[in-house]
Amino acid sequence: MKHNKIFTSALLIISMLGLGMHDAQAQQTVVDSSLLDRVSDLEQQVHYNKPGDDHFMVVGLATLGFVSSKTTNTVGGESTVTKSNSFPDADNFEVSPMFLWRHEKSFLVEFEPSFNADGLTVNWGEVSWFAAPGLIVRGGYLVLPFGTYSKREAAGWIDKLATDPMGVADMAPTDFGLEVEGGLPMGNMKMSYDVAVSNGNQLLPDGTLTSGNFTDNNNNKTVTARVALLPFSNSSLELGASGMFGKVGDIGTGWQNKMSESYAFDLNYVHTFSPLLVNIKSQYNIQNIDKASYINPADSSSYTFTNHTTAYFAQASIRPVNADGFIKNVELAGRYTEFNTPANSTFGADQHTVTVGLDYWINWRTVFKVTYEAYRSKSTASESLGANTGTTSINSLYVHFAIQL
Amino acid sequence: MKPVSIKNIFFLILTASLIAVVIMAMPSCKASQAVASKSGAQLWAENCQRCHNTPSPSTFSPEKWETVGMHMQTRALLTDNERDKIVEFLKQ
Repeated sequence: MKHNKIFTSALLIISMLGLGMHDAQAQQTVVDSSLLDRVSDLEQQVHYNKPGDDHFMVVGLATLGFVSSKTTNTVGGESTVTKSNSFPDADNFEVSPMFLWRHEKSFLVEFEPSFNADGLTVNWGEVSWFAAPGLIVRGGYLVLPFGTYSKREAAGWIDKLATDPMGVADMAPTDFGLEVEGGLPMGNMKMSYDVAVSNGNQLLPDGTLTSGNFTDNNNNKTVTARVALLPFSNSSLELGASGMFGKVGDIGTGWQNKMSESYAFDLNYVHTFSPLLVNIKSQYNIQNIDKASYINPADSSSYTFTNHTTAYFAQASIRPVNADGFIKNVELAGRYTEFNTPANSTFGADQHTVTVGLDYWINWRTVFKVTYEAYRSKSTASESLGANTGTTSINSLYVHFAIQL
Repeated sequence: MKPVSIKNIFFLILTASLIAVVIMAMPSCKASQAVASKSGAQLWAENCQRCHNTPSPSTFSPEKWETVGMHMQTRALLTDNERDKIVEFLKQ
């Protein structure tokens, strides 16, 4: 009996010790856990402020869809009709990851490769130095500051319609150079400036321009600049004017002093008139290239033409953002575009499109679009150059999905 | 010598006018009291929608909002004050 009492007491003591140790351990675990969380927070803050650590992120976009078209070509009174439909709508398909590296709050590297109908290309690759308030210095492969469409509005998850306005994006090249830009407050208003010096465009044998040459085709650099004013304190209206000037001919050729002068005027107005969000965008581009002599591809004789091109669009959309239910995610958009290329060239045409679309915004950066576009073109190209003449009409239906990643 | 076209004269006048406005405005190159007192939420609502839909603050972590804010400043040419206030709002 006595042994049993001793045994029981010992067992009781051991159990109590065990429980005590467990409690202590549990308390220690609780203490450790909160301590570990605090240490982790401090480590994050330290990491956040270390310039050498990677502040790296991948964003980007994907745009894909389907297009069905009916094309009618009329030459000399005779018409031919062709129909086509295809995935993924090659003209507008792209998958473009964007890589962003940040060092402190002073430097940002942006690189966006793209997989699209042209294969694997690069949309931009640049380094930005946030040098001072209102001053950002950038260098690399830049989208030049000519208008706003190419730099801000072209992405599939931003554009209200499945297609780009003809000619407008093409006249704002991406090029190698240096840029300074910034936004400055002015009382109740705001202004911005954006100036770039780059290698410039190159004049091609048919009178069109190309850009993005790694090696400049001449020793002259092109200057592109945009200034903009936001006159209202709520930044709802922006008015911009751009210019692009530079020599475009290859050095050592008869074209070496040929100049290209381009201008653009842009307007952006976004405001909510409850319950509707009204969004108006417009841009007008003019391009003049000095008169030059070209070789007729049909018979190798020489020819010339007035190399004057205009492209403009006006777009409006409405969305009932203050409504209830799914309707607040529906947006109706419409756009008129004109693109007139030089008469008596191999590619001259007076073209216009009327585009309407209905969008459903799944969230702020994901959209499903149905767009209908009617394209009409009358050739002003020269028959003696073997160019296609007559009229063309294309009616297309696009069904698109676009997402920002 | 190539004659100067009317379009060139127009653009030169336009550019000179804009530069004159900027130079005259430089001494007051600061926001008014009303604009300076705007909250990050208000600046977020006014500026982001100029190009795209207003982003949800829950989309990215605070650290990533710093990076996104710098990228957006190079695109939309926000003032430094606007960028800082918008990013602080999005990080909350």
